[in-house]
Amino acid sequence: MAGGGWARAVRGLLLDVSGVLYDSGADGGVPIAGSAEAVRRIKASGLKLQLCTNETQATRADFVRKLRNLGFDVSVAEVTAPAPAACHLLRERGLRPHLLVHHDLVPEFAEIDKTNPNCVVLGDAAENFTYANLNEAFRLLIGMEKPVLISLGQGRYYKETDGLKLDVGAYMKALEYACDVQAEVVGKPAKSFFESALAELGVPAEQAIMIGDDIVSDVGGAQRCGMRALQVRTGKYRPSDENHPLVKPDAYVNNLAEAVDIILQQQQL
Amino acid sequence: MSARRALKAVLVDLNGTLHIEDSAVPGAQEALRRLRSAPVTVRFVTNTTKESKRDLLERLTGLGFDIAEHEIFTSLTAARNLLEQQQVRPLLLVDDKALPDFTGIGTDNPNAVVVGLAPEHFHYEMMNRAFRLILEGAPLIAIHKARYFKKKDGLCLGPGPFVTGLEYATDTKATVVGKPEKTFFLEALRGTGCAPEEAVMIGDDCRDDVGGAQQAGMRGILVRTGKYRPADEDKINPAPYLTCENFPEAVEHILKQML
Repeated sequence: MAGGGWARAVRGLLLDVSGVLYDSGADGGVPIAGSAEAVRRIKASGLKLQLCTNETQATRADFVRKLRNLGFDVSVAEVTAPAPAACHLLRERGLRPHLLVHHDLVPEFAEIDKTNPNCVVLGDAAENFTYANLNEAFRLLIGMEKPVLISLGQGRYYKETDGLKLDVGAYMKALEYACDVQAEVVGKPAKSFFESALAELGVPAEQAIMIGDDIVSDVGGAQRCGMRALQVRTGKYRPSDENHPLVKPDAYVNNLAEAVDIILQQQQL
Repeated sequence: MSARRALKAVLVDLNGTLHIEDSAVPGAQEALRRLRSAPVTVRFVTNTTKESKRDLLERLTGLGFDIAEHEIFTSLTAARNLLEQQQVRPLLLVDDKALPDFTGIGTDNPNAVVVGLAPEHFHYEMMNRAFRLILEGAPLIAIHKARYFKKKDGLCLGPGPFVTGLEYATDTKATVVGKPEKTFFLEALRGTGCAPEEAVMIGDDCRDDVGGAQQAGMRGILVRTGKYRPADEDKINPAPYLTCENFPEAVEHILKQML
């Protein structure tokens, strides 16, 4: 990792949350060492900050409350998450969803008409991914003249405190295969999602850096929007990510704290 | 015809060909007896994820067919054979009724995953167990990849979607052992000492029975019973070696023209 050339001319950071700030878990989760302090240092330095997450197991308000309890100084305005983006899309297109999502996410869809559904919205439903629930979603889709499947993200898996777990992407693929349909992804790595995050960050792509643990969704997705992107070695990172056949991060860093060290050092030059 | 090798083995599909649900195809029992008088090895083959060989045998003998258990080869048998070849211990996501076909295979400390049609196992916790094993290098074996099937109260997800989800999450490909996979047919012939070119498959599913068998180097006879629909024979390339009315007619053809 020669120099920190990638760390020049940066005015804002997009941070993935799970695997960068903390590892989620049934117990509420565990902060990753150095990350809370790193967030404080970013804010103190005048750099802009936006959390760019595919988290769909809670409303933004509950999500931020959880992060604050873990020591992270963040607010709802600093979170770009898929559910609000999905609601926008549903309203725009007159879509009424059948939700197969984590039950703590449902309040995000409170204002959306869910009667007589003409689409299925799939989130990271975890224990709600029962055969019965999936079958119900499948029957609705296969019965539609024009099946519409909206997936909040397409991640393969994520890390919790008790190990790796299947993410929404696996179930998206399952329903795509069953119904011979292609899902629309709202969330990383969709370009429009990164673009909303950048708009909320208030910084153009060339002056922003994305930091994430998912080499395809976070790093690859961000780079395709013209941003620089760093792969952390925390969260769902696996050694095979060092030689990914398709994605070359601008740098690999051990964790968020190290990334911030390098970025702030560059700022002082 | 003279360039062809002699016929030495006949593979027969079960449901839709020899019988339709709980009734035998008229004349099929007698046709089977006539087939056995010829110098050919007969095997009965089927995709199933929850009927053990014993169950199938019971149903067939109950319908008046003269069949021995060792002549039955199912997708479960194919899975079992693969497990033995690879010397792996499976996490079995299969119906309880299928377990007898895996007797003798160790399942402690699994290092392989077998997926059949097993809704009771397709919950998040079990799927995660399977996912983690595969991520660590365990081979994923799919009995078959059907997208869905029909039940009295509507369509239901088959094993295919769950296998696809696991393939995506682990970035691996499952080995599918059921029809129409080539390995299914080759495995079915393995104990017979016959090469595919010396065998013919009789079935009602143009793509899975006939198409699959012909891809494996066998000849295929499509029968117009069971799930056959008009013009099915036009849907595969090459076309079936023969399309005829039913199993008894197929046997007549074999006895008169293929020996």
